[in-house]
Amino acid sequence: MSNHRQEDKWVSDKGLAEQVAKLSTEIQPERDLWPGIERAINHQEQQRSENTNSNVFVPSAWAASIALVILMSWFTFSPSIDEQGIPELVKNKQLSNPSQGALVNFMQQNFQQQKQTLLVSYGQPAMEQLPVAMQIELKKLADARSSIKTALLTDENNADLLNLLDFTQQQELKLLQELYRQYQVI
Amino acid sequence: MDSAKPKHNKVIDGQALFNGSVDKIDSEQTWVAEAKQGCQSAFYQLYQKHHKSIYALCWRMLADKDSAEDVCQEVFVVLWQKINNFRGESKFSTWLHSVATNVVLGHLRKHKNWLQRVFSIEEQGVSIAEPSVSLTDNTTLSLLDQHIARLPERARLVFVLFAVEGYRHEEISKMLKMAVGSSKSQYHRARLLLKESLTDVDLSSVDQEFSYE
Repeated sequence: MSNHRQEDKWVSDKGLAEQVAKLSTEIQPERDLWPGIERAINHQEQQRSENTNSNVFVPSAWAASIALVILMSWFTFSPSIDEQGIPELVKNKQLSNPSQGALVNFMQQNFQQQKQTLLVSYGQPAMEQLPVAMQIELKKLADARSSIKTALLTDENNADLLNLLDFTQQQELKLLQELYRQYQVI
Repeated sequence: MDSAKPKHNKVIDGQALFNGSVDKIDSEQTWVAEAKQGCQSAFYQLYQKHHKSIYALCWRMLADKDSAEDVCQEVFVVLWQKINNFRGESKFSTWLHSVATNVVLGHLRKHKNWLQRVFSIEEQGVSIAEPSVSLTDNTTLSLLDQHIARLPERARLVFVLFAVEGYRHEEISKMLKMAVGSSKSQYHRARLLLKESLTDVDLSSVDQEFSYE
């Protein structure tokens, strides 16, 4: 009898859950807590919204990061940009005005470097082994380059000539690459 | 004890009830907006509305009346400072309870004595031998509340946060800096201890009943 009564009294999971569900959501404190709170907040300043701060901070941080990346890129890659960006600069006639002769010399030096690098990578081939027709084509391009350069020295403000110089230089480099692929002799 | 259960009157006019609840929400939003502007009377209204539920949370987590009162005050001071962070994305009461939980946990961390830190005494169950609440001297609390208060600290915190406050184990594990599995095992432990202790009480009352026969 007694054991049976004890089994009935064993608190099950369900019984516990029911008691939890019946728990009061509120308990009244024994003392009045407000006077202490009031005293404290009279001397406390409210914080400004963290959200507002972050709204200002996040775009600022992004802007600063982007600016930093641009600056770093500029300082790191500006020499190569100068070398590769010449035709773009030449497209703008106004930009071509200052120090035209220096620009032509720079373009020529740059072209010679690229050509030399290309030939070194091909193992300094003998140009004489090329077919005669190809040798003539290369000579024509070299002559055209020379003529344009001479013309630029007398017509410093001619951006079209600068573009043409760049075009002939690039064509010569492309031709060398094509010849190497086709003949593997140079 | 002030019974916190809302007294639901018989509703005849459903529209009137609807309007009433809308008014309550509107007034709370107004109090929050005014409190954000530094209005203490609006903040007092928020205190009046929520202090009993916050005290209940503090009491259950701390299992000590004096600490619960002090920390409840601290919660409202922190609320005053941080109320501008409430963006209205959740219910104000939900947000307030999360603030309160953080304040309570911060209080526990600050006041954990060096002996507990070094030897992790609580984990060995020593705190069971020194209950912070007597089952006889706190008649204003429900029987279950009195037994919750006698649980070991970690088991008690997990039980209150999971079963009473409705947090998930993943959330509790972050709050208490423990593994999710530990949170679950502490909850399981708390349930076992509660069932045992509640059964003991029932059995003692049965024995008492028989002794009178």
